[in-house]
Amino acid sequence: MDAFVELSAELTGFSAEELTSTGLVEQYRALADGASEAEIIQLWYTGVWRGVIPTERAYAEGLAWKAIGVSPPGSAAPGFGSWEQRPRRSAR
Amino acid sequence: MRAVVVGAGFAGSLVAKVLGDNGFRVLVLEAGAEPNEDAVSRFRTALVKSPLKPYRRTAAAPSSDYLINTGPYAYSSPYLRMNGGTGTAWTGITPRMRPDDFHAADVGRGRNWPWGYDVLEPYYRAAEWEIGIAADADEQRQHLPVADGYRYPMHALPRTYLDHAVASVVDGALVDGHELLVVGTPQARNGIPVPGYRLDGQRCAGFASCVPICPENAKYTPHRTQKQWSATVELRTRCVVNRVHADESGRVTKVSYQRYEDDTSGRHTRHSEEADVVVLAAHAIENAKLLLMSRLANSSDQVGRNLMDHPALLTWALMPQAVGPFRGPGSTTGIEAFRGGPDRARRAPFRIEIGNWGWGWAAGSPDSDTAEFVAAGLRGQALREAVGDRVSRQFALQFEIEQEADPENRVTLAADLDPLGNPRPSIHYGLSDYVKDGLLAAKRASDGIFELLGADDHTSYKPDEERYFEHDGEPLRYWGAGHSGGTHVMGTSPRDSVVDQWQRCWDHPNLYAVGCGSMPSLGTSNPSLTMAALALRTAEHLVSRAR
Ligand SMILES: Cc1cc2nc3c(=O)[nH]c(=O)nc-3n(C[C@H](O)[C@H](O)[C@H](O)COP(=O)(O)OP(=O)(O)OC[C@H]3O[C@@H](n4cnc5c(N)ncnc54)[C@H](O)[C@@H]3O)c2cc1C
Ligand code: SF4
Repeated sequence: MDAFVELSAELTGFSAEELTSTGLVEQYRALADGASEAEIIQLWYTGVWRGVIPTERAYAEGLAWKAIGVSPPGSAAPGFGSWEQRPRRSAR
Repeated sequence: MRAVVVGAGFAGSLVAKVLGDNGFRVLVLEAGAEPNEDAVSRFRTALVKSPLKPYRRTAAAPSSDYLINTGPYAYSSPYLRMNGGTGTAWTGITPRMRPDDFHAADVGRGRNWPWGYDVLEPYYRAAEWEIGIAADADEQRQHLPVADGYRYPMHALPRTYLDHAVASVVDGALVDGHELLVVGTPQARNGIPVPGYRLDGQRCAGFASCVPICPENAKYTPHRTQKQWSATVELRTRCVVNRVHADESGRVTKVSYQRYEDDTSGRHTRHSEEADVVVLAAHAIENAKLLLMSRLANSSDQVGRNLMDHPALLTWALMPQAVGPFRGPGSTTGIEAFRGGPDRARRAPFRIEIGNWGWGWAAGSPDSDTAEFVAAGLRGQALREAVGDRVSRQFALQFEIEQEADPENRVTLAADLDPLGNPRPSIHYGLSDYVKDGLLAAKRASDGIFELLGADDHTSYKPDEERYFEHDGEPLRYWGAGHSGGTHVMGTSPRDSVVDQWQRCWDHPNLYAVGCGSMPSLGTSNPSLTMAALALRTAEHLVSRAR
């Protein structure tokens, strides 16, 4: 496994597969060269890199939302009335 | 009849439709540009997802961020100058006002309407069908008179999981002597239609971003109404009306406007248009500005005065269990028990929204929670669990406090000019003790509700935060709800009001000013449904006068 993914997994608590499935590894590897731990976590969790959200995907794949088990506002449509159901907790 | 409507926002689009359907030739002059196609994508990449962020802005027609605050408190309610107006970015919560809201002055607070709820009731029904409102009449009758046999065009939206969790605990309980009941909130959001109503757009699919964008077109916006305009309605965007002209008798003859092409500069050309009747529908603050710039309609000296909003109090807490916030609309129910009654004479009444988007508005969740846990040294699985546990249990209460009409709260013309050379609006705004007592009572009610729920209260207001103040030694804060009103107030006499019961300027027989600016009181209801009902009533009056 490559070092950036390994470090990211360790910091975020999300597995290498979960991180890879976001499709953001290459973009984030390039951005995060020389970044602090806190910056790497912020990027993965919220899609924010030094005050900017670089792409729509960075927002939509934010791990904070996955930790809650919901899609970020404006990114996906779970369906009419879905909000009435018992929340599913984050898949671990 | 040749009508000019100034502003293609919420009220203007409705009036233009009715006039167009009834044989008027209508020209709608709209200051803003056409909406941008990339609003959803701009929303997603906006760092702070505030209401105006995703939308196209032009230098020539600035939105509310060009207001100049001069008073003791900041007026912080936004509005949008783009085709469709603020009605594009709104939330879509549409309660009616209650009968006692029309008689605020009877308890010594603010102003009375020229008539009561009964006069507006048929227009409420018309507006609910025109806009497309999801609600259940029997449920609404628990706190409001709704005509017998009436059906809203769509069934009430399903409640959120959070609503059920709150209702199962608080229904029937007492807080500050008020019996609580969680009641569904009428919504301008597509649900399941009743027979006879045809859905326009998709059913609400739970994108949870209704303010400011609904990717599904499930939320009503004025663009829906514009699509239904007859061929006799002409829209011209990028046209900023800067003067209404009247002859010596007071009759309005024409409007002047400035047309621009470029989004980024004040370059423009000048034009004018004659009209038999002019309807100002430029939003409460811009209507007042335009009347002041035109030096019209102000024999009462009330133009721009009586500026109101709903100062909102937010409180936020954690439920004992996961409730799944950020799924579906922002609020599908509320607690209506504090909206009326004898308390109203002592302190401002309020309506409580049960907020389903976690601490997003109040505290910037989940980014803020993540930052907090990271700063505390959490990493890996511990971080993931902490964020998941915290945010899954978040909810908020949003209190809308009534603000009474006060002539000292006002819009005037600043000496500063915008890029077209028009004065920027200057706002002098304050909160009375009546409002502050209401905010404090709201905080107490919040304490009581959180205690009933066994919720862990995380509300805090800090002196270095915007709109912080103290009242009776208690820290408080208010937020702007976006509900600007009162600035061309309606009344029964030309001596102390700007428009009559038809929203016609007392001083000018063919000049109308429509919108929340006409409302003598806002009660505790989000005002746009009432505004729409008034607009339909005015349009009907114009049609019958032309016959
Ligand atoms: C974030 C937010 C959420 C809200 N949520 C709710 C809610 O849930 N429920 C509710 O009832 N209300 C809500 N509101 C309030 C609601 O949006 C307003 O009450 C409503 O849009 C006012 O309608 P209007 O037609 O007066 O103004 P607008 O909708 O703002 O339309 C005015 C139009 O006039 C144009 N215009 C302005 N100046 C000129 C000029 N000089 N010449 C030509 N055209 C001009 C503008 O560009 C605009 O298109 C919300 C507001 C905000 C900001
Ligand atoms: S919850 Fe989503 S689909 Fe429903 S109105 Fe809001 S943004 Fe539109």
